[in-house]
Amino acid sequence: MIRPIVLIMTFLALPACAEPPLPFDVGGTFALTDQNGHPRTQMDPDGLPQLLFFGYANCPGICTAALPLMGDIANKLAQTDIAIRPIMITVDPKRDTVENMAKPLAEHHSEFIGLTGDQTALSTAYRAFSIDHTLAYEDPEYGPVYTHGSMIYLMDAKGEVLTLIPPVMDAETATNIALRYLAPKT
Amino acid sequence: MNKVLAVILGLLATPALAAEGERIIVTGEIIDTWCYYSGVMGGPDSVVGSAHHTCALWCSASGIPIGLLAEDGTVYTILKLGPQDNATGGDTALTLASHTITADGMSYSRDGINYIVVEKVVEDMGIVNLTHEDYDVIPPFAIPEPKE
Repeated sequence: MIRPIVLIMTFLALPACAEPPLPFDVGGTFALTDQNGHPRTQMDPDGLPQLLFFGYANCPGICTAALPLMGDIANKLAQTDIAIRPIMITVDPKRDTVENMAKPLAEHHSEFIGLTGDQTALSTAYRAFSIDHTLAYEDPEYGPVYTHGSMIYLMDAKGEVLTLIPPVMDAETATNIALRYLAPKT
Repeated sequence: MNKVLAVILGLLATPALAAEGERIIVTGEIIDTWCYYSGVMGGPDSVVGSAHHTCALWCSASGIPIGLLAEDGTVYTILKLGPQDNATGGDTALTLASHTITADGMSYSRDGINYIVVEKVVEDMGIVNLTHEDYDVIPPFAIPEPKE
């Protein structure tokens, strides 16, 4: 009986490559600028997997649960020696600029990357991920609030989307989903 | 030992991934998945329907995924809602928050999560789950106090 269990546990430990392709058509190329003024595309220059979300670094009143969750996932993955890059693409380049994104993002994780760009470059990214970027409402205190993404995208180093992580689960569950795709082969 | 094996096989049977979608027509309520799953605002019966309508609007506007709570209790995370791509925060999602609808779309299961791409809202029954009669407003602070 032990042997079948070992075989089954081995199967459970199978790595990312056992996962079929994402059934949704999402993701693509983009070319933006990070909070240090450096260009960045969908490819991670250090070959790291990536967590991507479309939102605000400087949130207008209501802040998303996604950014802190992304920081928590990165910290939990680090405990298993897996480094991952959390990235946010702004939906409001007037609010999130190269100059002011670093500080709020660093509160979620020291390696957080914030990306912005001109309207053309941002629109390319929005289209690639089907982000319906429209004005949601005008907050009298905080100004315009735009619709933004609702999913965290787990991507490989090349920018291919591996799966989605809805930002409504606890960090452990979300990390376990990421590990299905990132855990080393055994 | 058999029990252990059964548990393991149960894990294997969990729909970790299913690459192929399934066309479904499903009736259910558009819900705020953050409050529904987290429990921070109350039990699942109190964070649906009219009692939670205002909070559901705030959550949708802040990028929380919306879900479709089907009559059989299944929650589908909505990836697309008719004409609206990212299915949260925009006009369609805000208009249909807390509404009971019949949706025609493609269902996918991945990582144990059910997703739906709603191609068409076949019927919009409006807000029919009148939970405010039992719970009033959940949470009470969802409706901001007007400034002096």
